[in-house]
Amino acid sequence: MHRVGSAGNTAGSSRPRKEKRFTYVLNDADNKKHCAGINCLSYLKASTSGTSDYLFTGSRDGTLKRWESKNGVPSFSATFESHVDWVNDAIVVGQNLVSCSSDTTLKVWNSLSDGACTRTLRQHSDYVTCLAAAENNSNICASGGLGGEVFIWDLDSALAPVAKSVDAKEDETPNGNCGPALTTLCNVNSSSNLASTNGQSHGYSPIAAKGHKDSVYALAMNDTGTLLVSGGTEKVVRLWDSRTGSKKVKLRGHTDNIRALLIDSTGRFCLSGSSDSMIRLWDLGQQRCVHSYAVHTDSVWALASTPSFTHVYSGGRDQSVYLTDLGNRESVLLCTNEHPVLQLSLQDDMIWVATTDSSVHGWEAERENPENLFKKGGSFLAGNLSFSRARASLEGSAPVPIHKEPSSVMPGIPAIIQHEILNNRRHVLTKDTAGSVKLWEITRGAVIEDFGKVPFEDKKKELFEMVSIPAWFTMDARLGCLSVHLDTPQCFSAEIYAVDLNVAGAQEDLKINLAQETLRGLLVHWSKRKQRSGSHGLSNGDTSTGKDVSLRNLPHPRSEVDDGAENHASQMLPSFEFSTVSPPSIITEGSSGGPWRKRITDLDGTESDIPWWIVDCVEHNRFPKENTKCGFYLHPAEGSPAPNITQGKLSAPRILRIHKVANYVVEKLDRPLDGNADSTFAMGLTSGQSQFSALDSSSRLGLKPWQKSKPSVEILCNSQQVLLPEMSLATVRAYVWKKPEDLILNYRVVQSR
Amino acid sequence: MVMGASGSKLEKALGDQFPEGERYFGLENFGNTCYCNSVLQALYFCIPFREKLLEYYANNKTPGDAEENLLTCLADLFMQVSQSKKKTGVIAPKRFVQRVKKQNELFRSYMHQDAHEFLNFLLNELVDILEKESSAAKDSPQSSSPEKVPNGPVQPLANGVRKEPPVTLVHKNFQGILTNETRCLRCETVTARDETFFDLSVDIEQNSSITSCLKNFCSTETLNAEDKFFCDKCCSLQEAQKRMKIKKAPHILVIHLKRFKYIEQLGRYKKLSYRVVFPMELKLSTSDDVDTEYSLFAVVVHVGSGPNHGHYVSLVKSHNHWLFFDDENVEMVEESTLQTFFGSSHEYSGNTDHGYILFYEGLGGKS
Repeated sequence: MHRVGSAGNTAGSSRPRKEKRFTYVLNDADNKKHCAGINCLSYLKASTSGTSDYLFTGSRDGTLKRWESKNGVPSFSATFESHVDWVNDAIVVGQNLVSCSSDTTLKVWNSLSDGACTRTLRQHSDYVTCLAAAENNSNICASGGLGGEVFIWDLDSALAPVAKSVDAKEDETPNGNCGPALTTLCNVNSSSNLASTNGQSHGYSPIAAKGHKDSVYALAMNDTGTLLVSGGTEKVVRLWDSRTGSKKVKLRGHTDNIRALLIDSTGRFCLSGSSDSMIRLWDLGQQRCVHSYAVHTDSVWALASTPSFTHVYSGGRDQSVYLTDLGNRESVLLCTNEHPVLQLSLQDDMIWVATTDSSVHGWEAERENPENLFKKGGSFLAGNLSFSRARASLEGSAPVPIHKEPSSVMPGIPAIIQHEILNNRRHVLTKDTAGSVKLWEITRGAVIEDFGKVPFEDKKKELFEMVSIPAWFTMDARLGCLSVHLDTPQCFSAEIYAVDLNVAGAQEDLKINLAQETLRGLLVHWSKRKQRSGSHGLSNGDTSTGKDVSLRNLPHPRSEVDDGAENHASQMLPSFEFSTVSPPSIITEGSSGGPWRKRITDLDGTESDIPWWIVDCVEHNRFPKENTKCGFYLHPAEGSPAPNITQGKLSAPRILRIHKVANYVVEKLDRPLDGNADSTFAMGLTSGQSQFSALDSSSRLGLKPWQKSKPSVEILCNSQQVLLPEMSLATVRAYVWKKPEDLILNYRVVQSR
Repeated sequence: MVMGASGSKLEKALGDQFPEGERYFGLENFGNTCYCNSVLQALYFCIPFREKLLEYYANNKTPGDAEENLLTCLADLFMQVSQSKKKTGVIAPKRFVQRVKKQNELFRSYMHQDAHEFLNFLLNELVDILEKESSAAKDSPQSSSPEKVPNGPVQPLANGVRKEPPVTLVHKNFQGILTNETRCLRCETVTARDETFFDLSVDIEQNSSITSCLKNFCSTETLNAEDKFFCDKCCSLQEAQKRMKIKKAPHILVIHLKRFKYIEQLGRYKKLSYRVVFPMELKLSTSDDVDTEYSLFAVVVHVGSGPNHGHYVSLVKSHNHWLFFDDENVEMVEESTLQTFFGSSHEYSGNTDHGYILFYEGLGGKS
């Protein structure tokens, strides 16, 4: 029977969390390449002859990058890293690079700097999808986003120093956060929004252009910055007075989402590209649609016009870039890409094409003399109805592209599109857009094996391990690479024996908390620099509990009291050492300001906006002691003459291996192991529960414990199944016992060989 | 069997117009079983369903030691009516109701029950029984799950993957397919998921028509703000548009009007007495732009102002005349009477008889 279903699946997004989340983003290449699709392009022409042109790319990997273009050959110049979600649009406005993101913020950067964020503007309540600027006015900028929000910014005011207040924020903070923005509207020319007299920081508020009922996906501004056009899911082109934010005109015609907009230099004409696959030319003065062009066979997502507005380059979901003469409707296919086209940037003899792939390609094009491209033939007349197949081609039925190969490329690395967390909860299998399947060790952010182009599901099955470890992290591939999320307290629920990580000299029962060590590894640079700058008194509030022996007790000649942090850093376990060549970035949020992102090697120790629980864990060794124990009963197997050796329920770490249980039984039964009679163990026996502790403190090295001795005792579960010695209690519970009641293990003696 | 007073009246009214072989019997109410009676009448007069059920029963009945189930009880009841010597009368569907209460504890109480819930339960129960019997007959173990969802329009089954379950007479008559389409607004990829249905539950508005209700049912919903769609292509949350399309029209189209709505402020359900016009002939467009024409043959009416008290009656079309079934009472009525069951434009009108479940038969041949 049908019931109208509820809304589509949202991947656990808005679960209320008590404490701030801590995320780290892994990368297996240097940060000179994007690792996800490119949403936007912006070009900065050389200011004087002799200096370079620059191209800015904004990506779904959350970063922007600057590329220096010398004679059309691009090279990496800088990374702008601060957004915590997709960068959706970017424009060069004067000296500034302005970007907007799905993280709901706009960020302003000094375009020629090393990538420092000057200011973060928080005004939108949902994704910011597009920006617009005026060619001849470098003080104005407009932003549009989901929920129909459109704001017009006076950049001078927005970037002015914030007046002093109780919790004064610097202009250039590591996080680039600005004070809280008000929601009141104020005139852009008034300077009264800068409260400097009453000592309170009011900040600046942009003009809100209200009237869009639905989300905005495209914006454009005229040269002087007096007119703004916007478009979105409402399917109409809206015209605004950008000085006041008042709406002027609505232009109807498109039958689907409007994804791209352009205004000519006079402000008279507007071009729009829509998901209905049409390009429309509008006369803003006469308030009507002049022409519509059926050029593409799928949605139009990008437009770039020649300065005279006589021709337009367009790209979209059909992966093609066309050049169309707006006057005579002649259209020619410039090139076909391998992915849908998201953005175009037209320069003198090159058009840069951004797609859902992380590489950007440059194709030969004409900016001043586009008619040259029609001389080769192969053009067709664009009809004016989207479903019309009236493409009169001069040569064949399907257009042949002018160019087969791009002339330039800014390479990127393939994005991860599929991932699977393996049972041991340290390894993750990924597949990228190139089809490569890789195995990652996420506790040190490195690829440990590259399987090449193999079937993902097969490899997943092949790597199946029968182990059960708590889910101490969650993960997503939204940014084209692995983002690992840690939430307290559940992130602290997973432990591993130090010997299993090949820690030299570790005691057999020494356990390591995976989250703690991973966090220490991520913040090693932060800790080191913090210590050096002495900004925080180093406290040795060593409140580790007795049982979980911390690493500091490893035999190592040093004093424990004074220089904890220094030695923390120098004692970094190899299993948790993150690469400094391609370091991960952390994304987190403190108690003030919003979320921020930084590469771990860029942390200079002054960052105070780190969640307290992280600082507590890394600096003071304090973290919630999640339940890492497993309770179980140990009884003789049915039919076995062995006596009962326990009273009541036992408790041991979840990761305790069965061979330890066997050893325990052997000890209790007072049966000597082969050649090792002097096993001593401390067992705090109480009437109720007993605790396990180290049983075999022998110094035999080499073989894994369960490989050394042949115990003369078998441990069973469910009365029949003989358990493998390397299985942990947790694994037995999950895969063999499979019941909610307490685990029951049985033992029986086997004949010695 | 009891000969009700209305019985003879009905026979007199029809005279020699009384259809050959047809029987019109009222059903006794055991306290609150009008929810059951009204649905049974609608199903009985769903001729393709009745005929197929009786045919199945005749061919598969193992006498004597056969275990009783809802299918056998229903078939027995239908048989009792169709094979009765008398043309009119009253039957007490005791066995059937007992069986229902035994199968589903929901219906065990004497509280007011919902006719649509009962219809849903009955059809799915019949499907279960039919599928079990079919797999037992084939003598090969099959994984039976009552509501198998086809994988989608163009997906072939991999070798060795589950076989399609047998298509029961319930499926053949009542099953339709809906396509749930979601389009990510960023990458514009459309993911389609097919769902089967035995009826359509539609939201209603005041002074509307079934046609507009069906249109709303198939209209586009936007997933945005806190409720974004997780797009597998974008690997992230994006705005999306979702809509339903009818992919395969059922032979018998059952439309359930959602008259009982939970009102947050009141903390309970309320009955919406909205006036929703339903036509005698209905056209349904499917996603492939094919129109199916339907003709109304039964209406289950809920009588009463609230969800917790009330009565059900049904109107049924048989051989071009309309009959009104109110438990034991059976009367002939004019077709125009149906208009009195559309609902009320005003909140507090005296009329509390509202069309609740509509039964349409597809014209243009049986499936």
